[in-house]
Amino acid sequence: MIENAVVIDNVTLHFPKQRSALRIIIDAIKRRVARFTALENVSLEIKKGEVIGIIGKNGSGKSTLLRIISGIYPPDGGRCLVAGKISLLAGLGTGFSEHQTGRENALLYGSILGHDERTMGLKLPEIIEFSELGDFIDEPVRTYSSGMKARLGLAVASAIHPDILLIDEVLGVGDPQFKEKSKRRILDLVKSTGTVVIVSHSFGLLTDICDRLVFIHEGKIVDFGHPEDMIRLYYETTGKE
Amino acid sequence: MADEMAQPLLRDVGQRPPSWKTPITNFAIIFQHRFLVRNLVRREIRGRYRNAMLGYTWTVIEPFLLASVYYFLFVMLAGNPDEMYPVWVLLGVIVWGCFGKSLTGCVSALSKNSQTIHLVFFPRIVFPITTVAGNIVIGMMSCLVVIPIIAFYGLPITYHLMLIPLSIVLAGFLGIGLGMMMAPLNCIYRDVEHLFRFIVRAGFFLSPVMWTYEMALQRGVFGEVVLLNPMVVPLTMARHGLAGQQLGIPLSGILGSVGFSILMWIIGSIVFNRYEAKAVKYL
Repeated sequence: MIENAVVIDNVTLHFPKQRSALRIIIDAIKRRVARFTALENVSLEIKKGEVIGIIGKNGSGKSTLLRIISGIYPPDGGRCLVAGKISLLAGLGTGFSEHQTGRENALLYGSILGHDERTMGLKLPEIIEFSELGDFIDEPVRTYSSGMKARLGLAVASAIHPDILLIDEVLGVGDPQFKEKSKRRILDLVKSTGTVVIVSHSFGLLTDICDRLVFIHEGKIVDFGHPEDMIRLYYETTGKE
Repeated sequence: MADEMAQPLLRDVGQRPPSWKTPITNFAIIFQHRFLVRNLVRREIRGRYRNAMLGYTWTVIEPFLLASVYYFLFVMLAGNPDEMYPVWVLLGVIVWGCFGKSLTGCVSALSKNSQTIHLVFFPRIVFPITTVAGNIVIGMMSCLVVIPIIAFYGLPITYHLMLIPLSIVLAGFLGIGLGMMMAPLNCIYRDVEHLFRFIVRAGFFLSPVMWTYEMALQRGVFGEVVLLNPMVVPLTMARHGLAGQQLGIPLSGILGSVGFSILMWIIGSIVFNRYEAKAVKYL
């Protein structure tokens, strides 16, 4: 029997709406609840070693689902169980501190991703080499181009070895050469990691690497199964609108 | 560690530790994430004195300039103070600054870090801790100003000088509890942030920053009332530490201040743990 790596059990998540003081009083009187349901009764089991892709339109709840798995939002209903260390790759390098050097930022970002000092000390040479920054690594990040920042971000983020890897649209940064290199790096990471969940709009890539696709529409899982079937279903459902 | 890797057990990611335990477990979390805390503190301090020619000397220049303004204000309003008065104001400004910046920093600790919060999960108690730790470090750096003061006034070097860094720590710790209590609410309504900025500014005059505990004592019963303010202890501690005197505050006052800060830490930890997850959805 293959063990489950992630069990999403009937998860519901609401986002509250920002209200003015007057609105709160009116809502209280009318007994109305001002909220937006991002995910509704979502259940999904991901087996150890599986590579899962999540597709759906913008705002359908894909990223929210990844954030639930990584623990950023605790669900309002149901629960989410995971086995092992999780890492979410999203918005690479957005936490960079502009006034510190690339090296300091690599350590900072690494520690944000959950590494201890010893691990980062061991990984730093590899990170610097992969980022192709050369002597720029000891310059402040504010002097970097956006491509350089993205490269450093990817270099740090991909140096991790979690049990479960969550990827939220981080493919395709930098110039074509680096784009190819970064894609290879992420694919290597996907291969070496046991369990992977990818959110992406590049269906070609998903078909290549995923065992199963999950199709989410308006906060609900419509279906999951073979990649080609799901992509067809995606166009059938969303194309009509 | 290796055993865990071989067969990881399913754990509930949405679960938070039981709230009543957090006043204690928070210390374990900070220790566990010490590398992260250190890097974040460094970012905060670097960020504050970025691109400044004088760099970290601003930690001393800023309270020095503020103190001289208050000194002239006092001389104009109240006439001739004693010769140590400018030094008391300077220390007051440093200690109060540590408290005020810790408090307002903690209140906006979650809302300021929304980007990081949406990106990755780690215990969010790290954010207020980082802010306070940063302000304590800056406060300590400001305290180096006592070295030229000791030389100038020819003050004795006694073990009482230890009271100065201790007062900075107490001031920072007084700020964190209340700040953590308000941080989740500030995610929903930023009004909290504005309110607390006002409270810190008003508290400046209500606390012995421009005046001293001894001045209050000369006003009879006022000296007793003033001790209700927990900030009197750290402010007076720093001054007496430099003068090499005993604290001179009744024990009940000291216990009151330390007890208040611990109580605030307990309530703050519980409130923060209970509401932060709901509050970050507003960010």
